[in-house]
Amino acid sequence: MSKDRQRSHKAQMVIERMGKKLNRQIVGSLAGCVHCGMCTDSCHYVLANPDDPTYAPAYKADQIRKLFKRHYDWTGRVLPGWVNARSVYTDDDLENLKDTVFGKCTNCRRCTLNCPMGVDYATFNRMARGLLVSVGVMPEGVAVVSKDQWEIGNQMGVLKEDYLDTLDWMSEELQDELDDPAAVIPIDLEDADVVYSINPREAKYDPRTISDAAKIFHVAGEKWTMPSDGWDMTNFGLFSGDDDLGGAVARKLFEKVGELRGKKLVISECGHGYRSTRCEGQNWAQMDVDFTMESSVNTMLRYIKEGRIKVDKSRNSDPVTFHDSCNNARSCGLTEEPRELLRLVCEDFREMYPNRAENYCCTGGGGAMSMSEYTPRRLKSGSVKAEQLKSTGADVVVTSCHNCVDGLQDVIRHYELDMQVTQLVNLVANALVIEKPTPAEQVATITDEVAAAPTPVEAGSLAGYTILVTDDEPDFVTFASAILEDNGARVLQAFSGEEAVALARREKPDLLTLDLGMPGTSGSDVFEKLRTDPELRDLPVFIITGQPELRRLIYQGEQRSPEGYLDKPITEESLLMNVRKVLSVPH
Amino acid sequence: MSEFLHFSEHQLQEGALLFMALVYTLRLRWLLRFKAGKERQASTGLGDTNPRKGFIYSWANVAMPGAMESTRTKPFLYGQFVVFHMGVVAAIGLSFVIPYGAHLLTIRWLAIALQVIIGGACLVGVMRMWRRAGNKHMRAISTPDDYFSLLLLTVWFGFAFFAVPNSTAMGEWHLLTYFLLTAFFLIYVPFSKISHYLYYPFTRYYLGKTMGHRGVFPLRRRPDVAASEGSKP
Repeated sequence: MSKDRQRSHKAQMVIERMGKKLNRQIVGSLAGCVHCGMCTDSCHYVLANPDDPTYAPAYKADQIRKLFKRHYDWTGRVLPGWVNARSVYTDDDLENLKDTVFGKCTNCRRCTLNCPMGVDYATFNRMARGLLVSVGVMPEGVAVVSKDQWEIGNQMGVLKEDYLDTLDWMSEELQDELDDPAAVIPIDLEDADVVYSINPREAKYDPRTISDAAKIFHVAGEKWTMPSDGWDMTNFGLFSGDDDLGGAVARKLFEKVGELRGKKLVISECGHGYRSTRCEGQNWAQMDVDFTMESSVNTMLRYIKEGRIKVDKSRNSDPVTFHDSCNNARSCGLTEEPRELLRLVCEDFREMYPNRAENYCCTGGGGAMSMSEYTPRRLKSGSVKAEQLKSTGADVVVTSCHNCVDGLQDVIRHYELDMQVTQLVNLVANALVIEKPTPAEQVATITDEVAAAPTPVEAGSLAGYTILVTDDEPDFVTFASAILEDNGARVLQAFSGEEAVALARREKPDLLTLDLGMPGTSGSDVFEKLRTDPELRDLPVFIITGQPELRRLIYQGEQRSPEGYLDKPITEESLLMNVRKVLSVPH
Repeated sequence: MSEFLHFSEHQLQEGALLFMALVYTLRLRWLLRFKAGKERQASTGLGDTNPRKGFIYSWANVAMPGAMESTRTKPFLYGQFVVFHMGVVAAIGLSFVIPYGAHLLTIRWLAIALQVIIGGACLVGVMRMWRRAGNKHMRAISTPDDYFSLLLLTVWFGFAFFAVPNSTAMGEWHLLTYFLLTAFFLIYVPFSKISHYLYYPFTRYYLGKTMGHRGVFPLRRRPDVAASEGSKP
């Protein structure tokens, strides 16, 4: 290769910055591979694509290694062809590298644990991601999520008022459920024993996990709180390889706990959140902290062991299995605690094989859920996980990771497995035994008067509401319509932007769900039309999209933000919960 | 013994060894120039492990085929690894035994043992070549250096096999070729993949230390500790 060959600015930056990222561990891993091929079968991508050698971990690692060898290793500098050392010259070269480091690896670290040499591919793959991100070469979804975390403070762009609104809503639900006005979610309480941090996915799609956790803290009599900001314990820096983002996010959370003088930071069930906060955050932030940190799995287990909460495992009688998150099991050693907890709260726990640090990735790790361009590959690689799940014979798969919840749900849907995904917090909350005296009036005989009263509207019912579902995918429209109709709503359907606007003008629905990626008039154009139309500007709009990268088209505009937002795939529970929230329907 | 053979057994080997030591020293200096990453956070996982246990486990991994799925599920490949590396040790040992302790080779069982090990390693070398050239996954990751290093070692094993009796009754060609190849091998090693054994202690040390700190190493395959008893905060 000619030394005079022109190199693009980005390629030059990647080479120069690589030198700054190299440490002894990474250099050892880059120099130490003997190409023995023992790692090959450890990768779920390889197992699902046995005829394509470009998925082999050593092959993928070599795409980074050849760059290192060409510029930092002596043999590669003198005799590049002899060791396949090669540089990058064009932006297309960087795009190819992007395809490998983002699109063919979830950084699950399974190959690392199967390498006889101890080559930590996942670590230098993350380094390569960081190098590409530093020159702006990354999947659109990674750019969007990183931007949200930098600018809004959490990776799903949840606004502070929405977050606080959700906590308020969950407090009300909890008070109703426990019939106890003291059962609230304390916000910014100083000197609390526990500061509880969550994944923004919980506030956005799955607030039930927040209320379940709150129920457990309340029943345990914990002095706890949730921060009003700096509450996101996830960290997209882990996935993007951007240590600056990693440090900034971790610092924000740590400083908030310090400001509240919290004694312990409890991290809700999230594999990458736990790893980022508990295992990597201090390294990235270069910061020492004077409080302890633990996973909520440890917290719940401790409450049971200390007798602070009582559980009845017969309430979780379905056969369950456990999926170890890669980050928990292979990077943080969190494997036994969830199993001990599961055995305490479930009647029929079945091990999945392989398990613990040998478990296979859910396919959604490493930020893969945000990279929609690689979804077909991801789902194909899910055949390994699908087989694992099926073999357990369980009805429910439990996992301590939000990414895994989404990844597993995708696999289950794609491979048509009849399984549910849940988390330990949901099972513990369901098994909670709450002892309180039954007031005499509560057991009074039902009078004729009460019996004759009209049946009240069921809690959470959408009866009386008209919802316009807009999407160009007929399957999705049918799916969403069925759920909403089953819950009492009158549903209108539109399959294009033009149709949606016309129907909205004519029928004046109470809510419009909108897909962003429609052919013809796009969702973002429809949204703009709705917001600028005097007749329709107050109509609540709920974005449901499979292309999160298009989110910026909505949120960067000057018009009022949509009232709701969901990434596809959606579940019945997430759809209902969010629709009720937008329509302020109590449940 | 011809003068050339004497030179090949002594001065040439000593010179090649000195060269290798010098290049290895430079190589280690280069590696140690890079900073070692540090962990600031408190350790995770159950209380029955720590960084020290982690790196000891990691170093010992080579002798624990059951510890990794990749070796556990491929006992034949692991067996090949053992024989091949024993062959390397035996063939290197032979390059010292012949010039400095040739009488040892008159011990019949020792000579036979060396020939069995080195011959086995040669056979494994051929099998590995077959695998590297015949398996598309292996081909995709192989460099010219991978093929050449394997070929070099396999041929070297072949000549070492015939050199074990240290006999010149049929001529000196096999001994001469063995020593010339050994010298070339010593000079070539630091620039090739064969230098992996120099990195092995480092890569496994750092991985083991990190994984021990994080409670991952030693790997668990079944619950042997009550989690809530040993859990670190």
